[in-house]
Amino acid sequence: MSGSYYFVIVGHHDNPVYEMEYLPPSKANDPKKDDHRHLNQFIAHAALDLVDEQMWMTGNMYLKIVDKFNEWFVSAFVTAGRMRFLMLHDTKNEDGIRNFFQEMYEAYVKYAMNPFYEPNTPVKSAAMDKKAQTLGKKYLTG
Amino acid sequence: MASILQRQKSSILDRPLSKGKAEVNLSTFALLFSEMVQYCQSRVYTVPELQNKLTEMGHHVGVRMLDILFLRERTFKREVKLLNMLLFIKTNLWKTLFGKEADKLEHANDDERTYYIIEKEPLLNKFISVPKDKSSLNCASFMAGIIEAVLNGCNFPAKVTTHWHKGTTFMIKFDESVIARDKTVDGR
Amino acid sequence: MSRQTVRSGDPRKVSAELFTLTYGALVSQLVKDYENVDEVNKQLDKLGYNMGIRLIEDFLARSNVGRCHDLRETADVIAKVGFKMFLGIVPTVSNWSPSGDEFSLLLDNNPLTDFVELPEGQSNLEYSSILCGVLRGALEMVQMEVNVWFVQDQLKGDNTTEIRVKFIRRLEDAVPVGED
Repeated sequence: MSGSYYFVIVGHHDNPVYEMEYLPPSKANDPKKDDHRHLNQFIAHAALDLVDEQMWMTGNMYLKIVDKFNEWFVSAFVTAGRMRFLMLHDTKNEDGIRNFFQEMYEAYVKYAMNPFYEPNTPVKSAAMDKKAQTLGKKYLTG
Repeated sequence: MASILQRQKSSILDRPLSKGKAEVNLSTFALLFSEMVQYCQSRVYTVPELQNKLTEMGHHVGVRMLDILFLRERTFKREVKLLNMLLFIKTNLWKTLFGKEADKLEHANDDERTYYIIEKEPLLNKFISVPKDKSSLNCASFMAGIIEAVLNGCNFPAKVTTHWHKGTTFMIKFDESVIARDKTVDGR
Repeated sequence: MSRQTVRSGDPRKVSAELFTLTYGALVSQLVKDYENVDEVNKQLDKLGYNMGIRLIEDFLARSNVGRCHDLRETADVIAKVGFKMFLGIVPTVSNWSPSGDEFSLLLDNNPLTDFVELPEGQSNLEYSSILCGVLRGALEMVQMEVNVWFVQDQLKGDNTTEIRVKFIRRLEDAVPVGED
C-alpha cells in the first residue's frame, strides 16, 4: 500500500515557494484534490512554529517528523539558507523522505543560483516539476 | 517563418552541481569588478550610496553562495552556533572566494553583539584606485554584502559595514535576538 | 566537521564562482535599471569595451605574442591565448567567410553562463554580450576595427555558442577614443 504525500518549500516570509503532491494512482483523480491542497497548506503552516523551534536543537538539516495532525505526519528539512522543506505523509517513510529532501535540495540550489531567480519567490519550472515527480516515484512509494 | 520546432533547451537542473574548483584569471575578475564599481557609481551621487549599492550587489552573490557551500560538503548539516557560523565565513567562505582565510576574527570588548573580520589587503581593493575626493570609499563593501547575505540567509540577522581600519575591517553587528538565542542553543 | 580546501590558492586566480556570480549580479542589476533589453545589451557591450581596452595591456605583457600578420593568425591568438588566459577556455575558430574577413569563435562552454537560465520574456537578452565588447575594445587597441556579435547561444537553446567577428578596417595610428 502506498501513501499520499504533499511537499512544500516554505520561504523566509512563511510563504510557499514550491508545492507538489505525490499521490498513489488510486487517489490521483480524486475530485476533492483541491480541498486537500488547502488543508495540506494549513497543516504545513501550522507546523512551521515547531520547525523553527527544532531547527536550533540540532545541526542536522533533516529534522524527521516534527508534528502530527489527524492521519498526517509532518517531516521537515531545513537548508543552510533556512528554506524549510516540509512533507505531509500518511505512512512512515523516514529514509525515503530523507533522500527526497536531499535530492530536492540539490535541485533547488541549482535553480536558485540563477541570477534571474529572486530568492523567496515562487519556483515556476517545468524541469523542477519533472524532477520532483521523478524523485517522488523513486522515494515516495513506501 | 516562425520556428515550428520548439527548440529543446537543456535545464539548469540537468547540469552537474558546481564543484567550486574552477578558477579564472584574477585580472579578468578585477576588470569586471572595476566596471561594476564604475557602473554603480554612475547610478548614485554620494560615497555612502555607492557603498550601499555595492553591498546590494554583494547580497546577490552571498545568497547564492550560502547553500552551495553547505550542500557541497554532503553532510547535510547546518550551523546553529553563532561562533561556528562566523568561523565558517572566515574560513570556508573566504577560501572558496579568495583562496585564503580571512586574516582575523575578533569580538568587540565592549559589545557582545559586535564582531570584526579583518583583512589587511582585501583582494577587492587591490585593483581599485580610489580617487582623492572619495578617499572614504571602500569597495570591499561588496564583500560586506556577501557576508551580510550569508548571515541573514541562515537566520543570524546582522548588519555588516566596511571600515578603513587595520586594512579593512568588516564590522558585524548582530540583532539582539541572535545573541539571546545563541545562549540557549547547544552546539551539539 | 572537517572542511576541505577546495581551491589551489594561486594568488593570480580567483574563484570562477565568484566571477560568474558577480557577473550575474551585474546583469540582473542592469535588467532592473533599464526597461529596454536592447539597452541592457548595449550597456553590457560597453562595459566589455572598457574592459577590453584595459585588458590588452595585461595580455601583451604576459603573453609574449608578437604582432599578428593576418586575421587568421589574430583569430588563433584570440582563441588559444586570449580566451585561455582570461576565461580558461579555448574556443574553436571556424566558419571563415570566403573573403577571409569574418570568422566565428565557437564556445562549447561559457563560464559566464554557468548557473544561468534565461527567464521567459528575456529571450532578446544577449546575456554574454560583454564578450563582444571585450573583443572590440581589445582589438581596437591593436589598431583593428571589428564588429562582434552573437550568432548562436546555448542559453537560447542553440547547440553551441557562436561569436562572430568581422574585420572592418585597420586603424592608422589612431589614438583610441574612449567611449562615453
